[in-house]
Amino acid sequence: MVALLLSGSDSGRRADGYAILPPNPFRKEKLVAAVGDIVRFESVGMRYRLGAEVLHDVSFSLAAGSFHFLTGPSGAGKSSLMRLMYLAHRPSRGSISMFGRDVSTVPRPELAALRRRIGVVFQDFRLLDHLSALDNVALPLRIAGAKEGQIRDHVAELLRWVGLEEQIDAKPTTLSGGEQQRVAIARAVIARPQILLADEPTGNVDGEIAIRLMYLLEELNKIGTTVVVATHNEALLERFPHPRIRIENGILAGPDGANAAPETAET
Amino acid sequence: MIRPSTDLPLSDDPASRYLPWTVGLLVFLATLSLAAGMILSSAGENWRRSISGTLTIQVPAGPDQQTSAQSAIDLLRATPGVDSVRRISGGEVATMLEPWLGTQVSTLDLPMPVLIDATVDSGKSIDIEALSTRLSAVAPGTVVDEHAVWLRRLTDLAAIAETVSLSVMVFVLISAIMTVVFTTRTGLAIHSDVVEVLHLIGAHDSYVARQFQVHTLWLAGIGAAAGFALGAGAILVLQIYGARLSGGLLPDIALSGLQWGVLCLMPVAAVLLVVATVGVTVRRVLGRLT
Repeated sequence: MVALLLSGSDSGRRADGYAILPPNPFRKEKLVAAVGDIVRFESVGMRYRLGAEVLHDVSFSLAAGSFHFLTGPSGAGKSSLMRLMYLAHRPSRGSISMFGRDVSTVPRPELAALRRRIGVVFQDFRLLDHLSALDNVALPLRIAGAKEGQIRDHVAELLRWVGLEEQIDAKPTTLSGGEQQRVAIARAVIARPQILLADEPTGNVDGEIAIRLMYLLEELNKIGTTVVVATHNEALLERFPHPRIRIENGILAGPDGANAAPETAET
Repeated sequence: MIRPSTDLPLSDDPASRYLPWTVGLLVFLATLSLAAGMILSSAGENWRRSISGTLTIQVPAGPDQQTSAQSAIDLLRATPGVDSVRRISGGEVATMLEPWLGTQVSTLDLPMPVLIDATVDSGKSIDIEALSTRLSAVAPGTVVDEHAVWLRRLTDLAAIAETVSLSVMVFVLISAIMTVVFTTRTGLAIHSDVVEVLHLIGAHDSYVARQFQVHTLWLAGIGAAAGFALGAGAILVLQIYGARLSGGLLPDIALSGLQWGVLCLMPVAAVLLVVATVGVTVRRVLGRLT
């Protein structure tokens, strides 16, 4: 059983303030760290339509069950790299392998199955404003074809877990930035993805909530989820000493800023 | 109003707001077109059945009209291939002329011809020209009117009108398809960000298509039901008023039970066509994405 530090909810919480992660009835396979690389980039280049290349010769790999920060200044290419990882974009050159499959050869209908193994927390949350918090979080389950009768209880439990039991029926527009962030995280983890990609997840919340969110992500990592967090929040980076992938001007940079595949990426 | 909920906020789209009206209007027109086609088809068939194989012989007015008429009847009865011969009474002729000359035809003292109906055995053919010559010999001035000639023209006209009606229905359905394609593409453009989120969460194109289809099924269903109700109402009104116009001026515009059944299937088929079009459109548009 995994303990998570959360705010707002007393349900499922231990005496020391840690909440218990609710079990997921929809996940059949065991979420233990798989052996081998879950992500592998080889000489990847990326451009938007016919524009200039925004990523150049990016090569790295992430071991299953690892936790990495993706860092770099604004406009360095962090979000573009994340887009490639959550399969929103195809590389213009090079190859990307996710879960051992070369994504450039995966037929479009099969991309959906790969995407279901990836949880994404978008920088701007990308919640559906016309749906309640519960329906937003339930989306991945509905898409996966889970039975409606099971969905509500499970989603409600997860929303309690992230401290939003009072906002189950609230529309995202009525929630604060921190609450929206937690709904976005709940949506990303409800189907227990093998890898969780969070793009600037603490960008819209204050320091205290940012730290709580980081604890939450760490706890997910402990149960086997590979986690990548894109951020340029230095305070967070110092407080949570996970390996970093640094990117500058679309190129992976070593710790000293030199162009190189980072050692820290190999975990 | 209860609506099926979808992951896409389609009910707020300006384009889809008009979909029930558009589908309703098109189904209304398609209902009338299909009904007109079926009525014309039935009318053509009735005309063909009722007067094929018959001849009408006119014995002109004159001092020997009655003698000539009886001679013509005798000749016809003796002609091989003629099944039956019947003199049309003065009362029947007056009824036929009533729409043009009014109810007081008998008092007008008009020189009316004697009309004789002859039924020809369907298995045999008669040389009309020879019969006409023989009739003229016993009853001078007699005219043999073979219905087949103008019946062919009439049924050809009915067939053309039927084709036009059914073509109108097809054009109306094509218009419905084009409208739905436009509405769906607009909806996809408006909600491209939500569609992208659904894709990134793991939705197949078919899941997104189903969202649009559920929404369209609801809207098109409402429109089709209203359009069909109006169309069927209009047909019933025409049927009631048409029944009052007795005298054979108009073809029978009453639809049979089977024809009503076919007509009832039309809005269902229209909705299914629209929903299928939406599905194909969504899949085709999304299929072009990376």
